[in-house]
Amino acid sequence: MTTEQVLRPDTRTGPGRRFEEFTVGERFTSAPRTVTATDLAEFTRLSGDDHPLHAGPDGVLQGPFGIAVAMGLLQGLGLHGSAVRGLLDTHWSYRLPLRVGDTVRLELTVVRCRRTRKGDAGVVTRHMRLVDEQGRTVQEGTTSALVAAAGPGPDPVGRAFGTLGWGEALVAALAPGFAESLATWDGAIGLRAGEHEVCLRVYRGKVIEVAGRAALGPTFTVEADELTWTELVTAPANEFTRFAMSGRFGMRGNGYEYLRLTKALHLIVDAARGIA
Amino acid sequence: MRYIDIAGALAFVEEHGPGGDDTAGTPVLCLHTAGQSGVQWRHVAPALAARGFRVVVPDLPGHGRSEPAPGGPVTELGVYAGWCLELIEALGLERPYVVGCSIGGKITLDLAARASGRLAGIVAMAANAWTGGTPSERGLRRELADVAAPSRTDRTYLGTLAVVGRSVPAERAELIATMHRREDPAISNSDLIGWTTHDLRERLGGVRCPAHLVVGADDLWVPAAGTRAAAALIPGARCTVLDGIGHYPMEEIEGFDGVLAGWLAELGSEVAA
Repeated sequence: MTTEQVLRPDTRTGPGRRFEEFTVGERFTSAPRTVTATDLAEFTRLSGDDHPLHAGPDGVLQGPFGIAVAMGLLQGLGLHGSAVRGLLDTHWSYRLPLRVGDTVRLELTVVRCRRTRKGDAGVVTRHMRLVDEQGRTVQEGTTSALVAAAGPGPDPVGRAFGTLGWGEALVAALAPGFAESLATWDGAIGLRAGEHEVCLRVYRGKVIEVAGRAALGPTFTVEADELTWTELVTAPANEFTRFAMSGRFGMRGNGYEYLRLTKALHLIVDAARGIA
Repeated sequence: MRYIDIAGALAFVEEHGPGGDDTAGTPVLCLHTAGQSGVQWRHVAPALAARGFRVVVPDLPGHGRSEPAPGGPVTELGVYAGWCLELIEALGLERPYVVGCSIGGKITLDLAARASGRLAGIVAMAANAWTGGTPSERGLRRELADVAAPSRTDRTYLGTLAVVGRSVPAERAELIATMHRREDPAISNSDLIGWTTHDLRERLGGVRCPAHLVVGADDLWVPAAGTRAAAALIPGARCTVLDGIGHYPMEEIEGFDGVLAGWLAELGSEVAA
């Protein structure tokens, strides 16, 4: 899903998007921004970090400059007004140096929408990537914002990767081949997205429980970050093997059983794509 | 088509020549990938023959319809290269071109390194000079100890689909992956041990025949950078990266015989130059 958003006139004065208006898989691209010598001088002055690395014509901008710029470019997308209650976290990686004269744009993908326990707001997690003019990722990470909700829910579960509701919907969507391929199997499959994990307890082809954890722990867990799950379920075809071969999915636990369930895992991904 | 004794075992060899004469035309030896067989060249071979080539497609020892190598599964690609030279000799192929893919591509490079003078030129596809140790020999040997390792056939099928190029129509990709399920895992794994341990970096500088290295941009197993690096080691070699194509150009590309004939003509004109 690719969505280009225009600046909404009410975001400075109005509420902007409420929690329910965000959907996992939405993508946005900002206008470009060029880093200037003034940026370097002012950010160095502001932080007080005057290490020689951050000085001179070849000076590398301090990492957090990228986060600050990313947040500024995010505002330019016109998504957020007064409904935003604040930023909750930032997880960030610096991939390439950012220097004066470089031009970057922000590519944002909504990767999780989770309502708070109280129910009147939700946490929207965005994967944010600063991309240079050659298309290389300069910095990337996730940020989460608390956003006021318009109503009490319920919320869609089809892209709530690793949650109980998602696991239950996924199991309901499994093809008959799943039971066939696991006719002799007894174990539990963990599916993890970021910090969220759900366990499918399987006995002789039947999923007998969907739970946050299995009594004896999962036989193995298949895991990836939320962006990877988002891309997996929105890709034109089931690319699980390609993702696993290129290291985007990881595995913990019993590797032998993980391999044995190659076909079953493909069917699980088919189901995840079906409910997305 | 015939069985011929090579290195102490019967080898199955498919031959096609222009106008139905299997011994006419410019000889081209076509080598298949790990664990597979000459069937990968079934569309290319007759069509290439119709363009004036004597196309020779062997099944490597232990593959397809060839008998196993007397010493057991081959884990050294140099052994296959030596076997190919014996085959060239036995069939009386005069300065053939050699075209191979994956381990076949690396065997092709090895042949050029050891016997440039006997070849008209090579096209090495989906190959590099050195894998950097990936996949790990240790892992492959462990899997060889248990070649019925779980879901082997599903992993071969899905793994093949994952490395077929994105431009290939779904039905064609499905056919390629389904046919690749036909393998002897003991042979495939041994081939891969050969693939991952064979280091040609010191030897490619000695290649003296025209060479063209080809790699698919969607080949997850063989990154283009490795193929480019291998081409850079060979004096005068060219390198082509195929957009939308993966690990099996001769099976993925419709009308590959025409593409290959073009490459061979280029190699031929280099000799004349």
